[in-house]
Amino acid sequence: MSGVLGIAGYVLREAASRKFILAFLLGVTGVLVTLSLSLRIEVVDGALAASRLFGEVIDTDIRALDVALKPVFMAAAAVVFYGGILFGIVSCSDFAPSLLSPGRIEHLLALPLRRWHILAGTFVGVMTLAVFGALYGSVGLVLIFGVKTGYWTVGPVIAALLACVSFAAVYAVMLTTATLIRSAALCAALGGITLVGGIIAGFRTKIAPFIEEGLSRELFKGVTLMLPRLSSLAKAGMDLAASTPLGVQSLPMLLMGVFVFGLGVLAVGFWWFEGRDY
Amino acid sequence: MQRRRGLWLVFAVVLFGLAAWLMLSGQGEEEAPPPQKVAFPNRLRPEERERMERRRTYVVPVAPADAGTEQKPVRPSDPVLAALPRGKGKTAMVIEANAIRHSPIGELLLECLMNREGEELERFKQDTGVDPFQDLDRLVLTDDGVIVSGNFGNERLKNLLTSRGSTNYAYGDGARLFETQSERHLPDGGVVRRNGPQVGLWNDQMLVFGRSANGVKDVIDRVEGRGPDEPPVISEGSTYGEMYGVISAEQLKKLFPPDQQELAARLAEVAENVELHVDARSDFAMTAQVKGADEAKMTDLGKSLGGALSLARMKAQAEGEKELAQLLDFAKVRPDGNEFKLELAVPLEVIKQQLAFCRDQQDTQGSKQQEASPAP
Amino acid sequence: MPAIEVIGLRKTYRRAFRQGHEALRGVDLSVPEGSAFGLIGPNGAGKTTFIKSILGIVQPTEGTVRVLGGSPEDPSIRARIGYLPERLHLPGSWVAPTFLATVASLKGQKPDKAANLRLLERVGLADALGRRIGGYSKGMRQRLGLAAALLGNPALLILDEPTDGIDPMGRVEVRRLLQEEVQRGTTLFLNSHLLAETERLCDRVAILGDGKVLREGRLEELARGGARWAVRFAPGADAGALAGAGFTAAEGSEGLYHVEAADAAGLNAALDKARAAGALLVELKRDGQDLEAVLASAMGVAA
Repeated sequence: MSGVLGIAGYVLREAASRKFILAFLLGVTGVLVTLSLSLRIEVVDGALAASRLFGEVIDTDIRALDVALKPVFMAAAAVVFYGGILFGIVSCSDFAPSLLSPGRIEHLLALPLRRWHILAGTFVGVMTLAVFGALYGSVGLVLIFGVKTGYWTVGPVIAALLACVSFAAVYAVMLTTATLIRSAALCAALGGITLVGGIIAGFRTKIAPFIEEGLSRELFKGVTLMLPRLSSLAKAGMDLAASTPLGVQSLPMLLMGVFVFGLGVLAVGFWWFEGRDY
Repeated sequence: MQRRRGLWLVFAVVLFGLAAWLMLSGQGEEEAPPPQKVAFPNRLRPEERERMERRRTYVVPVAPADAGTEQKPVRPSDPVLAALPRGKGKTAMVIEANAIRHSPIGELLLECLMNREGEELERFKQDTGVDPFQDLDRLVLTDDGVIVSGNFGNERLKNLLTSRGSTNYAYGDGARLFETQSERHLPDGGVVRRNGPQVGLWNDQMLVFGRSANGVKDVIDRVEGRGPDEPPVISEGSTYGEMYGVISAEQLKKLFPPDQQELAARLAEVAENVELHVDARSDFAMTAQVKGADEAKMTDLGKSLGGALSLARMKAQAEGEKELAQLLDFAKVRPDGNEFKLELAVPLEVIKQQLAFCRDQQDTQGSKQQEASPAP
Repeated sequence: MPAIEVIGLRKTYRRAFRQGHEALRGVDLSVPEGSAFGLIGPNGAGKTTFIKSILGIVQPTEGTVRVLGGSPEDPSIRARIGYLPERLHLPGSWVAPTFLATVASLKGQKPDKAANLRLLERVGLADALGRRIGGYSKGMRQRLGLAAALLGNPALLILDEPTDGIDPMGRVEVRRLLQEEVQRGTTLFLNSHLLAETERLCDRVAILGDGKVLREGRLEELARGGARWAVRFAPGADAGALAGAGFTAAEGSEGLYHVEAADAAGLNAALDKARAAGALLVELKRDGQDLEAVLASAMGVAA
């Protein structure tokens, strides 16, 4: 277990020294600062009376504030979710391939670590980065909205955490890909494909009727049965942010399911890694 | 070594199976019910348009024109609309009795808004055999009294009206006025006579109740084209909803709950005219268009109203009334120059609570009437 | 107990849709504990594959590998091995002490800053402690890698080209360091192209060629392998007569000849022939082959 944590720390230190963390923090901070300076919201007795973005008055009806901000929160939740996963795919695609590069992997394999510790540690390290980044961005968003409007909601933070679980599933695929073929571009590509597959899987009950009855439909349903329902999680995050009723039957089970999918993919990666020659 | 390696693959298969089952149970196969949608009355629906056209039954008799000038073709019009008061600051609420007959909200509101004449109408129902909910087409409440349209060709009705020891006479082209009186025997043997409502029956299709004979006569004049030239307070195009009409600011104040009286006072001061429409088929939805003269004050008023609504919503959320809170989600105030439109949806239970004050007023009014009854 | 014991090791790299490449074709090797063992051979002989096999980085197709009495798959065995890979990747933005601390913790050792600093001094990096690894020269990186291999006083040191890129003076230092380790009882297993270095450092050598061990044994025995003698005659000797007696002239040196003689009798017979032709013997020496010659002859024999 300490081996896993050791490798995770190794990955984190690597990220810190590559100024990766710094760049990420700067980027997110920049977005938050821009938003906080440009968004002006006029609140009267808890009702949204007027709002300005970049000085332009947004045409709004006078409604209860949290209701009026619902679309904003939903949009924020969606951006945090999908944007976060996309950013994670692109920025974290390099970690595993570089760790598995010649000269490095031999050194690591010669250490008194079980092979799967190395992969697991990489996974834990990258997920730690993802969780902290997501929390930082979402808490910043909550602060901005809270200070500007007096309305405090935990919605964006929940969306960020849901996105982290989804990213865990996506990154598991990327990591397993790296053990097969050591290429950052391929890892990113497969991460993207997993994301798209997850979005489609979330809508599987809606899409299935549009597919030809028979083998094709059964095949579609079978394949999407296994894929993580990422768009359902995104929708749940948006619903939670806007305080509308959830469209899924049981969010905890769905969340567990996506996470367990990620673990399954990791297990495949471990299996492959254990037998691989370097 | 190989065996241990193979374990990972077995593990993976088990995990995939578990994940699929978890996600399937978590997501559910059926779609979630679509979220509640509220339809606010904003314009004439097709069936309402038909209804409006069907009611253009009466052709106002036109005085012969001077020689030489062309006679404008006279279009048939709706006699009830013609009967409405004219000019600013008047109140007229039309309740489509047919449309809301089966609607619980209709009953509630009828009960409340009729509190002044409620007793009378009850007695009326018993005596005349006219059931307000069967033979009524529309019920119009105005400052001066009540106008009822429907089917009143009933002989019993006429007999009752004549037999009430009252005078009756014809008026205008098709109306008959009944000045009713009612008697009550006091315990000490005396008899109290009281002037009952003045009733006008027009064309066997409209009953006009008023406090004074002149008031009733004015209404009949309006119907028969002898009224002022101003248009009625409700135009044809505004006859949408199960209840619709115009409320003067003063009357509107009475509809506000006691803890919002300050807002009500501001409203009375600034607003000229409030047009209400209610869709009570299922969705308990109301729109109110408030017009005023001063644009700045109207905008302020709009903001305050919006604030009050959001407060109400937060209160509902805090008190755990989820349904009310959800419906108040739809409440909004749309400012537009010197008028603003308020859209509000409220569930039945809440309306009952809000109208409890109305019932209280009814009781106090009843006792007041008792006190104020003149000695014979 | 041998530090490394390999029996019948075979490794075939399988490629999909292509002919598999047989890197090791049955290697038998035994490295005694406490020895300094050198592995030499031409490119493509399978030396790196062999090293990876004894570390568990590559899994053998056939055969047994025992390291320090256990299997290289066992993490506790690997904890006692110090390894310097051929192309060691070092994180460019770290500093040396941080790198050593990280490796030490990954090896499961207690953090000991002082010991790490001493180690860095030993390898000659005391002046560059604050500098980022990205700015190190090749020699400095190699020294750092060596320091990492030495962490925790391993029982077995496996070094793949340890002095690659280090300047000659530096090589002397490294050699001294490694000799110290050997004296301390550490088993040294070396893979180097620099035959001179291997000669100076190792006491046992194995020649790997074409996936098999061609020659193996103590350095002196190997070097002495051929029965060659270096003989110096006084100037004026008859070259033709000497050639007839089996003496081949050595290049460069005037009067220096080589003669092959399997035993003392053969040697004396050749000398008698030369003296009978009038040559005067002034120097007689056993001619050791250097490792390069050994390698060449071994490869020649294999070919």
